[in-house]
Amino acid sequence: MQKILPKKELKSFIERLMKKHKVIAPVKESPTKFRELENSEDIKNLSLREITVLSPKQFFIPENEVLLEFKNGKVIDVRKNPEDKEKNRIIFGVRKCDINALLVLDKVMKDPLYISKRKKTIIIGLHCEAPDKYCFCNSMISEEGSEKGYDLFFYLHKDNYYISIGSKKGLSLVSGLQSVKGKDEVIKKIKNFRALNDKGIERSYRNKIWESDADKCLSCSACTVDCPTCNCFDIRDELDANLKTGRRVRSFSSCQLRSFSRVAGGKIFRESRLARFKHFVYHKVVYYKKHFGRYMCTGCGRCLRVCPTKIDWVNTINLLNEIKDADNKGRMKK
Amino acid sequence: MPYTPRPYKITGIKNLADDVKVFRIRCSMNPSPGRFMQVSIPGVGECPLTSCSYDPKYVDLLVRKAGNVTSALFRLKKGDRVFIRGPYGKGFPLNKIQKKKLILVAGGTGIAPVTSLIGYIEKNRREFGSVDIYFGFKDEGHILLKDKIRGWRKKFNIVVCLNKRVKDKKCEEGFVHEIMGKHWKNKDNKDTLAFLCGPEIMMDCVTKELNSFGMGNNKIYWSLERRMECAMGNCGRCLIQDLYVCKDGPVFRYDLIKPKIENEKASNEDYKGR
Repeated sequence: MQKILPKKELKSFIERLMKKHKVIAPVKESPTKFRELENSEDIKNLSLREITVLSPKQFFIPENEVLLEFKNGKVIDVRKNPEDKEKNRIIFGVRKCDINALLVLDKVMKDPLYISKRKKTIIIGLHCEAPDKYCFCNSMISEEGSEKGYDLFFYLHKDNYYISIGSKKGLSLVSGLQSVKGKDEVIKKIKNFRALNDKGIERSYRNKIWESDADKCLSCSACTVDCPTCNCFDIRDELDANLKTGRRVRSFSSCQLRSFSRVAGGKIFRESRLARFKHFVYHKVVYYKKHFGRYMCTGCGRCLRVCPTKIDWVNTINLLNEIKDADNKGRMKK
Repeated sequence: MPYTPRPYKITGIKNLADDVKVFRIRCSMNPSPGRFMQVSIPGVGECPLTSCSYDPKYVDLLVRKAGNVTSALFRLKKGDRVFIRGPYGKGFPLNKIQKKKLILVAGGTGIAPVTSLIGYIEKNRREFGSVDIYFGFKDEGHILLKDKIRGWRKKFNIVVCLNKRVKDKKCEEGFVHEIMGKHWKNKDNKDTLAFLCGPEIMMDCVTKELNSFGMGNNKIYWSLERRMECAMGNCGRCLIQDLYVCKDGPVFRYDLIKPKIENEKASNEDYKGR
């Protein structure tokens, strides 16, 4: 069963949602980004066609998050702090790739801070009308396929939104709308201009072809910041000027930074750009899959879009399929 | 909240060398040998440490002053508090070592998890065959846990190797892997397992030596060090390719981790200077 919402009524639909929930949606700014809608002006500025630079990852794993606080040498659990209670919220306009990214994160992030944010958030997905030349989400579809990951999912068809329902919570938001069944339902597939075929990647870790990508890499970590599934972090202590109070903070880190694998004493285990770059790619396509049975990468293409030197690792992986010699020692040119 | 540590009192501190101390902490954690704890000082940070004893009443944190947290630990006194969460990780495979002969090799502060394992062996001595212990240290000033070593000489075959010229006649001069061969002569390595902990370069050399005695990599276990933040497989810092040192290790059967360490090492070496 699907529900139908006329396109014209989307704004009033969102206004209705805003009465009871905090609503987060992509707003046209420069650049377009997910943020909380504050007034009807924001609803007018919704940007539903463009792909956002950042995924909604930040609403589940903030850039900096307090894990615990300390005062006079005592440790205080943050969950006991009432200010941290978050309102129920809705994220509207989440693309398929970003919904999958949340499912990827669910398997890694097992702490109560993340889980409570996930539970308090309703995800309303939106079919991607205009994937660009970087998107390759169809190649990274989860093999499990059973988890939907959304509460509602919107498909725009002609003058109506056809709404698939993923949960009871979702249904309660659209219960007043007209339903359609069977043949009249609209479910669309996303069109991709690029594909990833990872047949050759596992045997090619030491292939020289990676060096031509690493040569271009600046270790700027933009790919990991924009990636909707990158969750690696740092834990550091912040002490206030009075030296009595402070907090332990979890903040974003990136495997592309040299200090990422540095241990006390100075040893850096992934010292070279090559090792770090390959770690990113292999983690997304190979390592995670060994643990959890699905790709970590969801094919959103953000790392390719944002890369200042336009490294195209998806193309590199595709090239590997054509190389027959497993441990090709020669340097390949692209 | 899994990140919340609990406070513990330091009940004793012992200097072992200029830059190494042991902190005794009364607690009932009794981590299985080879597992580690996240020890923290509020305002400074956390670091992974291993107990060098095996006792239900306390843990002995063997600490080398190397980074921010360990430097701050060195400023603490008896009666001060530290915060600990854990223990984490998989320690030495205790269920696989019964009735086996053991070779234990440790270098420098790598002695900590191995000492804890020796503690376990002492308590269950009858379950094991011969135990050969090789320790490597920089020089006489850096021999750690001298008292314990003295006690073990009666129970086990123990060899202490120093990199510098040796006055103490009980110690030998040279790297562990160079000296092992002398003591190995005509020994049968059937049903033998080796446990290594120390700098990777040392474990590498020792492993090659063990291989030359006919021991396969599946009989050799490495205890590894990597950068860690969460210790629960979330933060991604300790990944060696697809293996988390914090939850899949820190003790690994060498044949399982070898290709992964070598791959990463090759990526560093192939790309040197670029």
